[in-house]
Amino acid sequence: MSATERGEKGTGHASADVADLIPMVRRIVGARVGSHPAADDLVQETLTRVLAASDTIEPGMLEPYAIVTARNVVATMWRDEDRKRRNRHRAIDLSEPETPEAQLVLDEEQSAMARALGRLDERERRTLLEHEVSGTDTKTLAESAGSTAGAIAAQLNRTRARLRVEYLLALQHVEPPTDRCRPVLIALSSGDHRRQREVRAAQHLLECKDCASLSQPLLERGQQREGSLRITIAADPDIVAARSAAREVASRLKFGPTELTVIATAVSEVCRNIVRFAGSGEVVIELLESPRRGLQVVARDAGPGIPSVEKAMSDGYSTYGGLGLGLPGVRRLMDEFALVSESGHGTTVTMTKWERNTDDE
Amino acid sequence: MSDQQQEPERTAAGEGEHLLSQLVAHLREHRTRLREEWAQRIQQAHLLNAMTPQEMSAETTSVYDNYVEVLETGSVEALQHYARDLSERIIPRGVETHEVVGIVLLLRDVLARSLFEKYQRDFGLLNEVLDAYEPAANRIANTVAVSFVDERERVIRQQQDAIRELSTPVLPVRERLLILPIIGVLDSERARQLTEQLLSGIRKHRARVVVIDITGSPDVDQTVANHLVQTVDASRLMGASVIITGLSPKIAQTLVTIGVDLSKMNTIGDLQGGLEEAERLLGYTVTRKEGGTSS
Amino acid sequence: MNGGPALVSIMRQGSNLIASVHTALDDSELVRFERDLVDQIGEFRSRGVIIDVAALDVIDSFAALTLRRIAEMARLRGAVTVLVGIQPEVAFTMVRLGIGTGDVPTALDLEEGLEMLARTAPHPASGADGRR
Ligand SMILES: [Zn+2]
Repeated sequence: MSATERGEKGTGHASADVADLIPMVRRIVGARVGSHPAADDLVQETLTRVLAASDTIEPGMLEPYAIVTARNVVATMWRDEDRKRRNRHRAIDLSEPETPEAQLVLDEEQSAMARALGRLDERERRTLLEHEVSGTDTKTLAESAGSTAGAIAAQLNRTRARLRVEYLLALQHVEPPTDRCRPVLIALSSGDHRRQREVRAAQHLLECKDCASLSQPLLERGQQREGSLRITIAADPDIVAARSAAREVASRLKFGPTELTVIATAVSEVCRNIVRFAGSGEVVIELLESPRRGLQVVARDAGPGIPSVEKAMSDGYSTYGGLGLGLPGVRRLMDEFALVSESGHGTTVTMTKWERNTDDE
Repeated sequence: MSDQQQEPERTAAGEGEHLLSQLVAHLREHRTRLREEWAQRIQQAHLLNAMTPQEMSAETTSVYDNYVEVLETGSVEALQHYARDLSERIIPRGVETHEVVGIVLLLRDVLARSLFEKYQRDFGLLNEVLDAYEPAANRIANTVAVSFVDERERVIRQQQDAIRELSTPVLPVRERLLILPIIGVLDSERARQLTEQLLSGIRKHRARVVVIDITGSPDVDQTVANHLVQTVDASRLMGASVIITGLSPKIAQTLVTIGVDLSKMNTIGDLQGGLEEAERLLGYTVTRKEGGTSS
Repeated sequence: MNGGPALVSIMRQGSNLIASVHTALDDSELVRFERDLVDQIGEFRSRGVIIDVAALDVIDSFAALTLRRIAEMARLRGAVTVLVGIQPEVAFTMVRLGIGTGDVPTALDLEEGLEMLARTAPHPASGADGRR
């Protein structure tokens, strides 16, 4: 689909810009939290989020988005600290009220989804449900609508983007304050860069408090929902961002401290290869559920490729005067390791760490 | 020596439950004599040798009473409870499975014989009594055997876990000195645990020297040998020198096979020598990192 | 990074320099750290250098290479470098990856590192220096 292509072309550029944002993000965070011990984490968190969203926003919007994100991240921290402080005296019975709350949240989500569906127009809703619920493929849908599969797919994407916006609005009981809000939110939700430019999304985010807070979940969808994270790698800071993110995602599984360090280090190595040899690329970090639970990392670039994979995988080979090591060491760190490289077309490393069996009997 | 009990025998056929309560009464009444006979048979069969006569007497009494009780109630829970209780009490005394099953079978036979004597004049009644008694008695024997095996396995597993933990202790012998004795078979999982324990032990005890004693481990495969070498290197990165003692020729061979330069490892014949070397390292000074870490 | 919280600090203590890394550094930050530290070793004619890396949750091949290069540059300027604070998980990962610290000595922490320096380098008060 064209959206993906556009996204990938833009990534290198976008991510180089993210590096330039660091001083500004530090300033914003610093102004709000001073020398709070978490300041660095907040900066890191902001950058990770901006990076994660950079595919779906137009390059010129990175700065406003970083400002909005930094504010949100700081606000979330204070909110969490405040809640922790208020709940400290009853730390023990905290788990009790959790259950009815969880049910409430679930009910709330369902009714929000129903309201959101209600706000789509009849034709959009029917096509979406046919596709998502009945599993009818786009080709069949196109035939019955007298259209093309591509057009149906594009329409479905637009509908999903609208649905996400309407769902969030319904869930948070927000009625957008201006008539620019909906077009901006939909442009963000669909990741359509051209449309974002047309509606001047960047400027609106800075002016509109509601859209600023809604932009976060819209741009980071997929990340939480599917346990997978995509990070653009184009400069040195991306390497650190990617390995911290990998550690973070991996910590949701039963990995011990050594394994978390091993994973972060392996990610660091493959990301550096991308920066050094290809200039830019991306890393996708994903939790696997079957056949076993584990963490998979795919690092790919469209660089010159590795001339001799065999040579690259033997200890002692190096092209950048490092320690004569790199990929063979990474292979030792991970449980599964596969390297595919095509001269002139790029390199893909796929590596996995399995969750250890808790019982060894 | 049958006693003629004036039981108001109701010969209504098939009254299994009634018969059972009758024979329970019989077993209760002749408890002392039957229990002694049983104990004698146990001795003749050379079972429960691990017990003193006093223990024997106490155990057989208790087992006998419970046995009769289970016969009486016939409930599965009571039976399982009885079997578990028996296993728990008897296993710690070093009793083997066949002995437990043996004594329960002996008891079954002793009691069967007494029933035989009691009812021998009425062959029909005897048949009915035995029909009621034998299934119940066999059920007890089976349940006891199964429970005993289960319990024994549980105890063994517990002991193995304890040994497993005991065999990878990080022993702080004196300030700045740790000993890591490796006992038993090292698989990769244990090797991994061992490394983690050692490295965090170095930090915790601020160790400068570690003696890894592998006298207790006869052989390791290449993966584990590799792991051992990595553990040595990682310890060095944390600032601790490692001395390996008790390296068997077989393990040394494995190390050489995987390409380890033994001259770069500080190996000493036995633990005593290793400790002396450790003292020397601690007493004098570690001026230079001995050997080099991987290049 | 200027303006933000310091990523590293370099302190002078007698004839020694104590450099502490406070947070994860990316490659360019590592290179900057290397440059700053080597500059200061020259400027203060330090005899000993301690680099405390306890805050690094990852030491990958580039970080290890940089640390070794710093030690080598320090040696050329007449200073001994001790690397302290490598965390257990990091140590094991480095070994598995196949990287080490080469000839650079390591110690558990700052305290041990200082003690090692005291043993290794000739005391400045005692004047004559046996080695370079
Ligand atoms: Zn708005």
